Amino acid sequence: MFLALKEIKKEKFRSGLIVAMIVLIGYLIFILTSLALGLAQQNTDAINSWDAKQITLNSNANVDMRQSFLTKKQVGHLSKQEALIGETSVVAKAKSHKQLSAVFLGLNNNQFVYQNLNLVDGHRVTNSHELVVDTAFKQEGYKLGSQFKLNGDNHKYMIVGFIKNAKLNIAPVVYGQMNDWKSLRAITVGPVGSAVVSRDANYKNNANGAKTYTKQQVVDKLPGYQAQNSTFILMIGFLMVISLIIIAVFLYILTMQKLPNYAVLRAQGVPSKVLVGATISQSVLLVVSGLIVATLFTVITAWIIPANVPMAFDIPVLGGVGVGLLVMAMIGGLIPIKSVVSVDPVSVIGG
Amino acid sequence: MSSFSVKNVNQIFGTGTAEVHVLHDVNFEAEPGTLSLIMGPSGSGKSTFLSIVGGLLTPTSGTVEVNGISYNERSKKERDALRLDSIGFVLQAYHLLPYLTVADQFKLVDKIKPQGNLSREALTDVLETLGIKDLLNKYPSELSGGQQQRVAIARALYPDPAIILADEPTAALDSTRVAVIGKLLKDLAVKHHKAVVVVTHDGRLVDSADRLYEMKDGYLTKSTSEVSR
Repeated sequence: MFLALKEIKKEKFRSGLIVAMIVLIGYLIFILTSLALGLAQQNTDAINSWDAKQITLNSNANVDMRQSFLTKKQVGHLSKQEALIGETSVVAKAKSHKQLSAVFLGLNNNQFVYQNLNLVDGHRVTNSHELVVDTAFKQEGYKLGSQFKLNGDNHKYMIVGFIKNAKLNIAPVVYGQMNDWKSLRAITVGPVGSAVVSRDANYKNNANGAKTYTKQQVVDKLPGYQAQNSTFILMIGFLMVISLIIIAVFLYILTMQKLPNYAVLRAQGVPSKVLVGATISQSVLLVVSGLIVATLFTVITAWIIPANVPMAFDIPVLGGVGVGLLVMAMIGGLIPIKSVVSVDPVSVIGG
Repeated sequence: MSSFSVKNVNQIFGTGTAEVHVLHDVNFEAEPGTLSLIMGPSGSGKSTFLSIVGGLLTPTSGTVEVNGISYNERSKKERDALRLDSIGFVLQAYHLLPYLTVADQFKLVDKIKPQGNLSREALTDVLETLGIKDLLNKYPSELSGGQQQRVAIARALYPDPAIILADEPTAALDSTRVAVIGKLLKDLAVKHHKAVVVVTHDGRLVDSADRLYEMKDGYLTKSTSEVSR
């Protein structure tokens, strides 16, 4: 540590360049991770808020709630652990506001999804044509009592409550009554809902034409969800590898320049472990410094970023990413170690 | 009792037609209180001899004993510890760590070997003798070649080693400094009872030597003895 600190103090510009690289990479990784988390959350916020374990859909719906219709027979008897949901895509239209794409979820008042809605303002839906909507509507200027039309429906719907973090497949959710769902989908006979969600991990619906999936299976089939996550994971992974290469290259060059000095120290009996420790300490100090600055930048970003940008700053996840970067730096720092260990002190005898 | 002895040491590099016999049956003893000067032209085997004596190189045959124990009986770690505690290397290629001030060069020794180093007063004496007392806060890049060499000498002496092996210690110094270094090495031998071995081209150090050897084509011969005592 002594050698590492002294070298960083003396070589401020060189160390500063390495730290600047780590800051940029760290900041980029933190922001990408936050974006990936934010988008993932906006895909699944609503489903996660239900605390559902199993979801039954029409077996021909390709595990997509929007494509699923269940008949009364397929739904069967529901216990207190189950709730029927009707999903459809809608566009909210009001004269004084711009159009807003949303996901309409029809609920039954006596089932747990309705009863567990955690509102931040207003009250739950009690009548037809009433809606509880995601706070994204608030950001667009909608208020309690605001009225608007959904799709081509002639009826006006009124906002009676706001709910936070209610998004499905990035779109804000509007919760209404099951009858309104039927109306929006122009259903008069047959289907009674899109999906049965259950909090019971052992729930199974064996009705003909229905199939039960785990929540994760349904989430994974959300349009674009896996492709988006894979893209982010790939980018973050690549940045991790790039950070490893940068650290390794910088430390390798720095270490190669110091080998004659290290050879003298080895000739004087300084153990290899002291020199190895100095190299690893140096890489850890530089990376930790870089990560601290990157974290500060990320905190500032989280502070000033507009609310409609889908970013989620999850401290445990970002902490894990930071530790990942540190591990990469340690691996990068280990690459020049072989040269340090094998430095030949005889090379400095004889000038 | 000798500080170290070299018995029938041969060093051969390479094999077959590339074989080079660098040292031939070298025998040597260094006793505490003596300054031995080994002179010889480039390529005569002086550096190889110093590497073997310092435990950096294992001879093809023969033994080197330090304080009565052969290097062959010591592990690599033990040889490192021996060099750190008992052998001070003064090297021609001094390579001071560029990011340590002169004071930090000594602090580094304290970090690695916290005990048994020169006292503050003794170090100050050495620094004064070498004329580098006022350079403690300077980095090597701020020093001349001669100043760096003197700092390297002080650093080698700081762990208070019983044996001092010097490789061309006066290569970058003028005659006045050579005389100072010669006297310092002689004092270390005589007053501080250390075994000092110097390999050099520099004839200006002959007057400081107790024993003078000549290395030629890998053969070590005693040129004269008790030169100046």
